[in-house]
Amino acid sequence: MAHPNDNKVMSAKEAVARFVQDGDALIIGNYTVGTCAELVFEICRQGRKHFTLYSQSGILDVDVLINAGCVDRLVTTYVMRSGGKKGGGAVERALQAGTLAMEDYTNFNYNARLMAGMHGFTFMPVLEGVMATDLFRKRGFMGDDKYRVIPCPYTGKQVLTVPAANPDVCIVHVQRADRHGNAQYWGAMGSVAAAALCSKRIIVSCEELVEHDVIQSSPHFTIIPAFRVDAVVQIPWGAHPTEVLGYYNQDSFFYGLFRQANTTADGAQAWMDEWVYGCPDREAYRDRYAARFGTGMMDKLRAKAFYSAPANYGAAFTSVWDETGRNRLLGLTLEEIEQKMAERGLLHE
Amino acid sequence: MSKPYTLNELLIITCAKEIEDYQNVILGVGLPTTAGALAKALFAPHATLMMESGIIDFEPLVPLHHIADAHSCRGFSYATDLFTAFTMTYRGFVDVCFLGVGQIDKFGNLNTTCIGDYDHPQLRLPGSGGAADFISYAKKTVLTLRGGQFVEKLDYFTSPGYLDGGDSRDRSGLFPQGSGPSMLLTTKGVFRFDDQTKEMYLAQIHPGVRLEDVRKQIPWELKVSPELTVTSRPTDAEIDFVRRFAPAESLGREAATELAIAHAVDRAQARGKNGKD
Repeated sequence: MAHPNDNKVMSAKEAVARFVQDGDALIIGNYTVGTCAELVFEICRQGRKHFTLYSQSGILDVDVLINAGCVDRLVTTYVMRSGGKKGGGAVERALQAGTLAMEDYTNFNYNARLMAGMHGFTFMPVLEGVMATDLFRKRGFMGDDKYRVIPCPYTGKQVLTVPAANPDVCIVHVQRADRHGNAQYWGAMGSVAAAALCSKRIIVSCEELVEHDVIQSSPHFTIIPAFRVDAVVQIPWGAHPTEVLGYYNQDSFFYGLFRQANTTADGAQAWMDEWVYGCPDREAYRDRYAARFGTGMMDKLRAKAFYSAPANYGAAFTSVWDETGRNRLLGLTLEEIEQKMAERGLLHE
Repeated sequence: MSKPYTLNELLIITCAKEIEDYQNVILGVGLPTTAGALAKALFAPHATLMMESGIIDFEPLVPLHHIADAHSCRGFSYATDLFTAFTMTYRGFVDVCFLGVGQIDKFGNLNTTCIGDYDHPQLRLPGSGGAADFISYAKKTVLTLRGGQFVEKLDYFTSPGYLDGGDSRDRSGLFPQGSGPSMLLTTKGVFRFDDQTKEMYLAQIHPGVRLEDVRKQIPWELKVSPELTVTSRPTDAEIDFVRRFAPAESLGREAATELAIAHAVDRAQARGKNGKD
């Protein structure tokens, strides 16, 4: 297990090389916003294969991984479709080509699998409405283990359950983290914490690397504690073209370019060649973006400040000794206390 | 020769030595919280100290009053909830936890619920709190007994130690293999549990304590390690830390309470109040 106070800061290249393997169950921690785009791109560049991919809601991230041929099986509830009816997307193309197996859940029932995994339970009761639907009836690669039904021991009612998910590795982008791995995230909580905490290994990318002091004075923002994290990668603009609250808005123009390209296999390949394979890292990606579209485009997306009110984590004192060197409770100095110990026969030689 | 120490200091310091660097540690009420602070300050600087209320990775600056004491530190790293703190333990992320003992049997099973009949108790103790959950799933559990007692049969079985001894704990399928109490610390010595039988035996005796004093407290024929050692004397650095961090604990509850009341009355009288109820 990762050590809590080691310095876990490394490059995306090193983090993926060390902690993401072929055949892994890989989970995208982010939900709908602020996805871990650069970690996804790096996984594509390193050519990882045969993932079982978990994503609560597939956006650019899922499509890019499938375009890159990294994914054999997909567990999800929703995948973005590029370009409406006449468009398409990587998932559709892969299903048509027979290279992708898929398992469809609802948002709640998928999230429940992560919650079960996070808390160490082997299964979780879930919302049973889907029993009337093909979500329940149609079984993919999970077969009988997609859903099972048991009687409630208290009421006898038939209860729908899902199995726990404990993916091998979670990739997740957050606003800030310290070098030990404490990861802070705010905004749409989605299923971000559960996705990370149900996983065996965790790679965190962050907009900002902050001193441990910052974390200590705002522990309510921490969603992943240091001792669970394997790697911390600082990647400014690491979620672009998706948005990160407090840092930048969605780049709708650039996202639109991706969607347009992603409607065809050739278009997607050209986009991947330019923006994923053509850029060794996020800095190169930003350089290319600036060269193509100018720096002003990204600058306009930078968030203006709207700080949360500070919360006071302070106490009346942080020492049992007062300003005059007397113990607050006993009113005595250390020497006087030692004298009392001696008088009372409490001291052993 | 290092400086003289109090019995409480010896207990706290002995307890602290059960914590290793980089471990995740759940601290229970009382003595263990100071032991945790000592360990973190002197020999386990990378330990992650946790309270079951969901306060994770804190650096204690004053002794904890209870297990939800965010006033004892200056911030911490992760604010989660009790449910998650326990499932964290259930999943095997807690290396060591510390529990106090009301009654204990020879296999390290615990009672912290009641002395006497459950419905009409002589003493109603606090109950399980987190004890039964922690001793079930922490990789190891350190037990401390000060006012409690050794019994052949618990009046109420609150928390599972080694059940009926031998491999019964592992065989039950309820607990992680190899988990369970690793030691019992009392005012007289340190007990550990036999690898095979899981029966407790005396492993260390505190300086100045006689074996018959230990045996007197125990209603069964106590086994004693052939390599019985004397608990090592605290170093000056260890004593200094405890005395500066928690002088009231160094003194012990009785003396500290008496001195604290005397001080409060003095202060009240100095302001023209009589300091009485």
